[in-house]
Amino acid sequence: MMEGGLLFGNPWLHGLIMGVIVLSGAMGVAAYAVWFERKFAARMQNRPGPTEVGYGGLLQPIADLLKLLQKEHLIPRSADRPLFNLAPVLVVIAPLATLAVIPFGPGLVGTDPSIGLLFALAISSLMVIPVWMAGWASNNKYALLGAMRAAAQAISYEIPLLLAAMVPIVLTGSFRVGDIVAAQEGGRWFAFWPPGPGFFAFLLFFFASLAESNRIPFDIPEAESELVAGVTTEYSGMIFGLIYLAEYLHTFIASALAALLFLGGWQGPGPDGIHWMLLKSLLVFAVIFWIRWSWLRYRSDQLMAMCWKIFLPLGLVLVMASAIWVQLR
Amino acid sequence: MLEWIAFVILGLSLLLAGRMVVVSRDLVHSVLWLAVALVSTAGLFITLNAEFLAAVQILLYTGGVITLMLFGIMLTRRLATARVEHGSSGRVRGGVLALATFALVTVAVRQASRSGHLIQTGTLGDTKALGSLVLRDLMLPFEALSVLLLAAMIGAIVLARKVDP
Repeated sequence: MMEGGLLFGNPWLHGLIMGVIVLSGAMGVAAYAVWFERKFAARMQNRPGPTEVGYGGLLQPIADLLKLLQKEHLIPRSADRPLFNLAPVLVVIAPLATLAVIPFGPGLVGTDPSIGLLFALAISSLMVIPVWMAGWASNNKYALLGAMRAAAQAISYEIPLLLAAMVPIVLTGSFRVGDIVAAQEGGRWFAFWPPGPGFFAFLLFFFASLAESNRIPFDIPEAESELVAGVTTEYSGMIFGLIYLAEYLHTFIASALAALLFLGGWQGPGPDGIHWMLLKSLLVFAVIFWIRWSWLRYRSDQLMAMCWKIFLPLGLVLVMASAIWVQLR
Repeated sequence: MLEWIAFVILGLSLLLAGRMVVVSRDLVHSVLWLAVALVSTAGLFITLNAEFLAAVQILLYTGGVITLMLFGIMLTRRLATARVEHGSSGRVRGGVLALATFALVTVAVRQASRSGHLIQTGTLGDTKALGSLVLRDLMLPFEALSVLLLAAMIGAIVLARKVDP
């Protein structure tokens, strides 16, 4: 796909230009996701949400950003200074690196290597290390508890996530994201075709992604009612903003991956293109917010029991089922 | 040319990280430097066209093993506050051993490449070939390995459990 899909001839030039476009686009989406979430939550709770800055509060993310940039960057005396400062930067780098292999349309991708999907999942599995670093370096018991929960959760939910992602891989026979989207041509989205395993794999992928990106009902590492703010307790100013940004980026990437793997990516009724990809990923993204504001948080042990007793066996069965489907077809 | 630059950068970062794993006095820093070393190794795999191996390296070693190590440190109070002491005795012995290992590996690689036993660059990146090699031709050793890992896991559970239910 890459040979024909280069928009700018030279792969280096293509990577550079697409990289700038995709990264700035994703940053914009993450910033406006905050505005959208505040509006959405407000409407669900029958209040107006941000209205002061700009029309309908549309400039609120920019005002928040300016506020965060002006704040003092506090470092606790007992913190591990190098790790404390490094962690938020690495937290943002991990999801940004994932974006390199996520296509938003035919050719609209930094690079589409033969192991694209595996690379994306591998890099997002790395995200737990900087999160853990942040919690550890803060030298604060709430932050450390948050870090411990984050590590436990990430390492458990990585397995069902990979198993769910295996279903489209088995059905396509390729790790290349472009191939996986191409295999869903003609409305045969993996969420609905083959009937059965695809749909459950989509649900599994969705919930495992929620757990990986620490969203409600799995935001146990942050749990503001018990852990102050989890790993971010000691962070302030823009460096806190970075961790926050990374969480939204991670959620957006999870939605984009769900759209690519199970909902046909940029294909749709009518002309294919980036509009379908954006529409589908933003819809999944919106569902995540919807869940966040209507669901309760699970307890840590409930989360683990669900992972090992329901999600893991389900994932194994789904991979088997899709392999049998491929053999019988 | 660009691959050469990437190789030099990754090699240097691997060497630096490897050194820091050994000399760092803080156990947590050591583990995190090990993560840097493992990611650099994955980068080296990519420059050798072994992309699948690189992804698996990151997924299993950096994402899995390092997280487990950090988890282990955190749950063990004694380890969490420990300062690692480095004795400087045995430097000569260590140096000789390191040089001998390096010489051994170099000779082995040179001989293998001369006799043509070395895997050609680019073939490892072919995930399909790798899959059929491991899951078809080498099925039995692969399954034996998984049984070994299962045995280790059951053993760990037996050791960790204090009382029989």
